[in-house]
Amino acid sequence: MNVTRRDFFGLAAAAGVASAGCGRVARRLAGGQQPDAPLPQGDVRPIARFLNRVAFGAAPGDPARVASIGISAYVDDALMAKESEDPALQVRLASLDVLNLDALELSDLKEEAVVRQLQQAALLRAVYGRNQLHERMVDLWTNHFNIYSRKHYGAYYMAVDQLKVVRAHALGKFPDLVRASAHSPAMLNYLDNQVNRKGVPNENYARELMELHTLGVHGGYTQHDVREVARCLTGWTIETRFLHPKGRFRFDPGLHDNASPKRVLGTTIPTVKDPAAEVEWNGQRIPAGQLAGERVLDILANHPATAHFVASKLCRYFLGGEKREWVDRVASIYRQTGGEIRSMLRPILASQELLDSPPIAKRPFDFVASGMRALGAETDAGPAVLQHLDQMGQGLYEWPMPDGYPDKVSAWTGSMLARWNFAFEVATIGLRGTQVDWAAYGGGVDPSDRAIERFLASKRLPNRGLYKRLNEHVQGMEPERALRETAALCLASPEFQWR
Amino acid sequence: MNKRFDERWTCEGDWTPAVSRRALLGGGALAAVWWAARGTALADLSLGDQPDPTGDLLVVVFLRGGADGMNMVAPVGADAYHRARPTLALARATDRTAPKADRVLDLDGFFGLNPAMGPLLPLYREGRLGFVHACGSGDHTRSHFEAMAAMERGNENIRGGIASGWLARHLDARPQKGASPLRAVAFSSVMPDSLRGATSAMALESLADFRLRLPEGPENRGGRLRQTLTRLYQDQLRDPIVDAGVETFKLLETLNRLDPAHYKPESGAAYPDSELGRGLRQVAFLAKARVGLEVAFLDRGGWDTHVAQGSSTGYMALGLTDVSDSLAAFAKDLGPALDRTTVVVMTEFGRRLQENSGLGTDHGRGSVMTVLGGGTQGGRVHAKWPGLEPHELDEVGDLRVTTDYRDVLAEILDKRVRSTNLAAVFPGHTPKALGVVQ
Repeated sequence: MNVTRRDFFGLAAAAGVASAGCGRVARRLAGGQQPDAPLPQGDVRPIARFLNRVAFGAAPGDPARVASIGISAYVDDALMAKESEDPALQVRLASLDVLNLDALELSDLKEEAVVRQLQQAALLRAVYGRNQLHERMVDLWTNHFNIYSRKHYGAYYMAVDQLKVVRAHALGKFPDLVRASAHSPAMLNYLDNQVNRKGVPNENYARELMELHTLGVHGGYTQHDVREVARCLTGWTIETRFLHPKGRFRFDPGLHDNASPKRVLGTTIPTVKDPAAEVEWNGQRIPAGQLAGERVLDILANHPATAHFVASKLCRYFLGGEKREWVDRVASIYRQTGGEIRSMLRPILASQELLDSPPIAKRPFDFVASGMRALGAETDAGPAVLQHLDQMGQGLYEWPMPDGYPDKVSAWTGSMLARWNFAFEVATIGLRGTQVDWAAYGGGVDPSDRAIERFLASKRLPNRGLYKRLNEHVQGMEPERALRETAALCLASPEFQWR
Repeated sequence: MNKRFDERWTCEGDWTPAVSRRALLGGGALAAVWWAARGTALADLSLGDQPDPTGDLLVVVFLRGGADGMNMVAPVGADAYHRARPTLALARATDRTAPKADRVLDLDGFFGLNPAMGPLLPLYREGRLGFVHACGSGDHTRSHFEAMAAMERGNENIRGGIASGWLARHLDARPQKGASPLRAVAFSSVMPDSLRGATSAMALESLADFRLRLPEGPENRGGRLRQTLTRLYQDQLRDPIVDAGVETFKLLETLNRLDPAHYKPESGAAYPDSELGRGLRQVAFLAKARVGLEVAFLDRGGWDTHVAQGSSTGYMALGLTDVSDSLAAFAKDLGPALDRTTVVVMTEFGRRLQENSGLGTDHGRGSVMTVLGGGTQGGRVHAKWPGLEPHELDEVGDLRVTTDYRDVLAEILDKRVRSTNLAAVFPGHTPKALGVVQ
């Protein structure tokens, strides 16, 4: 280290104050606090805020890149990028069986191992994925179409679901996403549609399809619609026959309820002559009985309530709220483009609203991924890290309910101790499978500024108290220890829990 | 029906209504999601000055995997039992042809206790422990997931529409002013569904492990880090994260003062060094520390005995020994405090009467619940025994369920725990009196 400790913090504090801006300070002080459940107020640095929303926080080099090309160009790049799994990431993922074997081959592995590998893959992608926006959308849709991996050995179908449903359509068209999900063995298994058959309909999937995946609970459907949708989807199951490719989608005409026409949201879906006879549909040949379910998916995907519901979801995820003007604007893009996710995202991501909107609490997965990125850590995302996620309450694919991990700050306030323990372990004690190159911070002119900029990219300004405390804390410490403890305290601080 | 819990299923996303600070828990199955629910509760807590809850401390032990009730409390008086289980059946207490170690410990002439559960026999004879047989839920899927989901939510079966846990509704039905942060504890890495939605429950594996892990080093390195972190939270204006951080520090201090790591059980009680043993030991510690513990939840897996189940010895017997030793040590350790404690041991379903070709048993229906505590009408096997002859069995050959598990829980809540709002705990269910507790 070629700077003194005094320089280290003195410069950082000065930089913080200088960029705060008097107008912002005044607004902040005049604003006061809401009496109930106040959210932290005040300004954040625009680039830090942007990267916390569009990416899993800032990794080394990111802020400089955004600064040089600008937010708008960054958004365009992210929206146009085709392949999110760059070669470097593929090397990291190469050893994971869950990404290389199909469900049947995976059955040699224990469920526990499959779930762990799935979690590992997700974390590696979030930390190292080059197209961070894509990983953000994977996080959003994985929760939107939540599947509990422990139900009925669902873990074995999950890798395919992630690949063919969530990742394949993350930035594509929402109707394609819903349709892929409806055909996904993981979903058929999780929400029991594989046992939905004529005479004994199982409404589980039909209900969640409308309530959680498309229309939303106030989307205007009735119990009658639930029943009719369930009837339309009878026979949508998972292949189990001898000498057939097991574990794939199958329409079983023998299980399909073709007894009478169904009526879904005001549309009549007629019976067919022979549910097993193949018909042409969207360039494919499918059994005629399967058409009823496909028509339901058309009806739902084209319903205005779905446009509104999906728009709300996107606004809440990226803007931290559901301002009516924004939801209406995004919903109208859904309707105009037939649910193009890219088109809906573009105005949101490049907006001033994103930079000015209220803060959003990081879920544990977000916290860990952004912590790793802030440190520029080299991690295997293995058991030692995943255990921390378990303790915070977000071991991935472990949420039993179909609604996905909650996004409310109130749901996660119990995870503070576990967050602190992660911060201290990764930065000071050492975490198995994870290394941080502390020496890399020492080479430049001003390591402290870079360190704080990186660790606390979400820093609210002004927060001179933080600098004061950190300054006091490292008095008399040798440089690497000062750096490690600064990093630990930054990650554990209230500021780092928000995005 | 409790509206707030119901909303969990019916409205997406924004279902925590107006996030009052009490309502925060909607998040549910998160580990340790709890204390920020209570504003100043922690500030009020100090060692030993919590008023005791009005009723018994309730301890729930859940045996996950479907424990074979018929080889715990064995109907050895029924010929059909011996016919159906040529390998696995326990011998009658009077059967001189069987080795003594394989004979049941007689309970009432018809039922006999698996010898692996011997440590519970004295408590049974003293009348402080009893069994309820042919007990279970209305779940017919025989799926662990569905049966547990139904039972932990207090539903008849999976189609019951309530998403929150029955213990959560119990706690919610009697909110307490200045309630303890240690009001409900699950000794588990994740919050069990039984406590899902509780506004004041925490899940942790070990009280002693609920601590900040700090680096060691000279000059009180860890202490300095902790102090600075505390200040980073104290310095801030209030927001939900800051509040939660401040409350966490207070709880850490409380547990530090309680010093669970150095707890010494009384009366020479020897807990097995198992997850359950360690868990019950901590429950006893909290009970005696009088910090306002009302509900403790523990679970133990390993009951899905499709193959090589064993009988008086073997795989299942090892589990039964662990449970029995743990419960016996708990009773001994509590001493007189057992009079104000009720323990209930439950499982999601029992197992098929007929043993299978793998010398195990498949998923069945009825099983046994065990009730221990000063208020137990013990020394009895409570059962409307349905019989084991083919025409008396359920569907594919299982012990029929003649007692709804909710009747047992409701009676305990009503008579021992003094729940004032059973209708909220088991909505739509009218409990029948069983006389399992007084």
